Amino acid sequence: MPTASLSVLDVPFDERPDPDEYIRAAMEWHFGPDTGSPFWLRKARTLDFDPRRDVKGVADLALFPHVTGELREVPVRDLIPQGYGADARIVGVFESGGTTGAPKRIVCLRDWLDRLTHGLSADLDGLGIPRGVDWLAIAPSGPHMVGEMVAGTAARHGGLMFRVDMDPRWVKKLISAGKAEETDAYVSHLVEQAAHVLRTQEIGVLMTTPPLLERLARHDDLIELIGEKVKGIMWGGAHMDADTRDLLRTEVFPGCALYGTYGNTMILGGATERLGLGPDEPCVFDPRTPFVTFSVVDPASGEPVPYGERGQVVMNHVSKSALLPNNLERDLAIRVPPPEGAAGDSVADVGPVAMFDDEVVIEGVY
Amino acid sequence: MSQPATTPDALDAPRTPDAPDPLQALDALGPKGPYRSRHRLTISDVTGTPMAELSLVPRLFVTRALAALRAAATPPLEERLAALKRAGELFATGTVAGMTAAAYESAVCRMSGTPLANVRIAVEAIRLSATEAYRSVQAARPVGAVGDWRDPYARGGTAVWIRRGDVFAVHAAGNHPAVHALWLEALALGYRVAVRPSRREPLTPYRLVSALREAGFGTDQVVLLPTDHDAAGEILHGADLSMVYGGQEVIDRYAADPAVLPNGPGRSKILLTADREWRDHLDVVVDSIARHGGTACVNATAVLVEGDPAPVAEALAERLAALPSLPPQDETAVLPVHPVETARGFERLLLGKAAGARAWLGGDGVVDDLGDGSAALRPAVLQLDDPRDPRLGMELSFPCVWVAPWTRAAGVAALRDSLVVTAITGDEALLDALLAEPSIKNLYIGDHPTHWIAPGIPHDAYLGEFLMRTKAVIRG
Repeated sequence: MPTASLSVLDVPFDERPDPDEYIRAAMEWHFGPDTGSPFWLRKARTLDFDPRRDVKGVADLALFPHVTGELREVPVRDLIPQGYGADARIVGVFESGGTTGAPKRIVCLRDWLDRLTHGLSADLDGLGIPRGVDWLAIAPSGPHMVGEMVAGTAARHGGLMFRVDMDPRWVKKLISAGKAEETDAYVSHLVEQAAHVLRTQEIGVLMTTPPLLERLARHDDLIELIGEKVKGIMWGGAHMDADTRDLLRTEVFPGCALYGTYGNTMILGGATERLGLGPDEPCVFDPRTPFVTFSVVDPASGEPVPYGERGQVVMNHVSKSALLPNNLERDLAIRVPPPEGAAGDSVADVGPVAMFDDEVVIEGVY
Repeated sequence: MSQPATTPDALDAPRTPDAPDPLQALDALGPKGPYRSRHRLTISDVTGTPMAELSLVPRLFVTRALAALRAAATPPLEERLAALKRAGELFATGTVAGMTAAAYESAVCRMSGTPLANVRIAVEAIRLSATEAYRSVQAARPVGAVGDWRDPYARGGTAVWIRRGDVFAVHAAGNHPAVHALWLEALALGYRVAVRPSRREPLTPYRLVSALREAGFGTDQVVLLPTDHDAAGEILHGADLSMVYGGQEVIDRYAADPAVLPNGPGRSKILLTADREWRDHLDVVVDSIARHGGTACVNATAVLVEGDPAPVAEALAERLAALPSLPPQDETAVLPVHPVETARGFERLLLGKAAGARAWLGGDGVVDDLGDGSAALRPAVLQLDDPRDPRLGMELSFPCVWVAPWTRAAGVAALRDSLVVTAITGDEALLDALLAEPSIKNLYIGDHPTHWIAPGIPHDAYLGEFLMRTKAVIRG
């Protein structure tokens, strides 16, 4: 039995295991007949390789087929590794936002959430965000993992968290139906709720999406309130262009540390912004490797693009609690070398597939 | 949430120091001065040669800029008028933001494909609008209203003409530089103005806003906000009132919004009735079709002829066929020029619609490849059988005219939905009916081209009718 090597899956929060050793241990765990989940044990029979033999490191995760589509229907209990036994501590069942069809479901276990929130809290220490201040999150909760992630981070950082709930699926539905007024009314409703918390509570950390930050910035009184109270703003859930980021930093919220996360349900969390870069450098996201790793590939060939080039993001989540390898995301990003000692790629200037609309308007003279 | 557009060009490697001919930087002109964004759009001339780099501002920049306009105070009338006059002269003749008037005219020709002569017409229109701003906007003031509560009339009770808001936004068009003459009236009326330039031709508003600033308008009085589509809506949201240009879909979208004034296709028409000899008026008809390169909303799109339209169409075809195909910066150019692929797009659209029509000119196509990556769009003359044919309202941005028979039975209905109708007729009852028809915006009687315009004359009603209202005032 490979029990000794499996201990690398439970390294202390502050330690980063050797990436390839870690991946090999994870393969033993997820494909061991006594420890693996019913989902992966079934799946293993259809693979044309043996994960325990052939997956020797991070790079070999590319051998796996894209399986996340199956997460729309698979019974979630089948995703829990049997090795946890009867007392697996489940935080919850979470779903993707449903941007690309029906939502995909994952199960989040306590040991992963603890590792994730420990890392985020440590990042906030590095950013100078004080512990013990209270938080306001204008973010999706319910089936969306981000709410739980932020709540867990706030708690670990010693804060109480006030919540304004956001339903991203409803907003997407309104936008795609062209209901601009209803979208606007919904976002105004969110801002109104946030304003009430900001006025009445001592909020030290604000977590929300870039579009919501822009909406808050329409209100001078809220800009002022945030400037007075908030020490750090953590953003995620949508992309932020470099010009907007610079304006937020230098003009709108100059007294707040602005901290970006690039998150995704399929990695059970988010990659976080690399600190210490200058204002004209792009926002680089480093995933917490080897638990989460990225690669940036040419969408046509699947081959990695050169550093500095734009490609499509492939994500891997490998923890004791879950295995979600080789998931091709819809996002495009620039491939950036990872920090020293980290595996895979880091990403910069993340954005959705660029839309270049044709300016030629034929009918009419304009 | 909608997501901000990505910025693929934001991270392009900086140009090497020895790179030749750096592109002209067209910065946004924000409330704190010029703003060079990381997200920039390369603007090419009609041959495809890059000319300039336009800074596209993010939505948040728009929000902030409009808040600054709202917070600003309006300068006194006399100061505004004097600054406008200076700006108009500077725009037309001076060196603005380092560019001479001649260099501007040449650059805007190459960028937009607008013939040089038309650019000069536009420059003059902008200069006139700036110089004559007071007279022009006062023409719109109701006769019962005065401009100030201190006016002696207010003692006995009167109406005072006031702004409906403080911040006016313009989503400008790129079809003709003269579209920028109109919004100067808003500045004269005391509005703070935000202009979103067309991405096809941002140079004219860049020069005009720069000239206004050099002439004394504060950076919080008039701003230039180039954006992509994602941030465009924010400009309308942040302004009290807006003017937008676009096709029919734009007109439809804003039809019910009292804060938005849409400017769409003009569908201008000429009516020739049997009591007049059409040959005597051919110059005016040709001029109505072809002036401005046929790109303006005031260009004639349709000619309706009482009697047989064929001889009229034939004569128009003969005259229009003689127009030369030339690069836009040529002194004698008259036809619009586009990149070849764009021109082919217009041609495909025309040929698709022309099926069944009798083509007197342009039936085989209208693209004349100039051999440098650009193409002139040549005129088209197409004859239809029925004055109710919807193609009579189809407006393309080159000299393209639909000719059809007109009958008394077809009447005024055949001339509806027109920015201008030039009626060459002696029938006063018909003129009464044309004047009374609300969907005909302007009526020119006799030998006046559809593109005739002068300061103080409404284009599509007075802009002042949209920007201003009356308020009752009485004082002791």
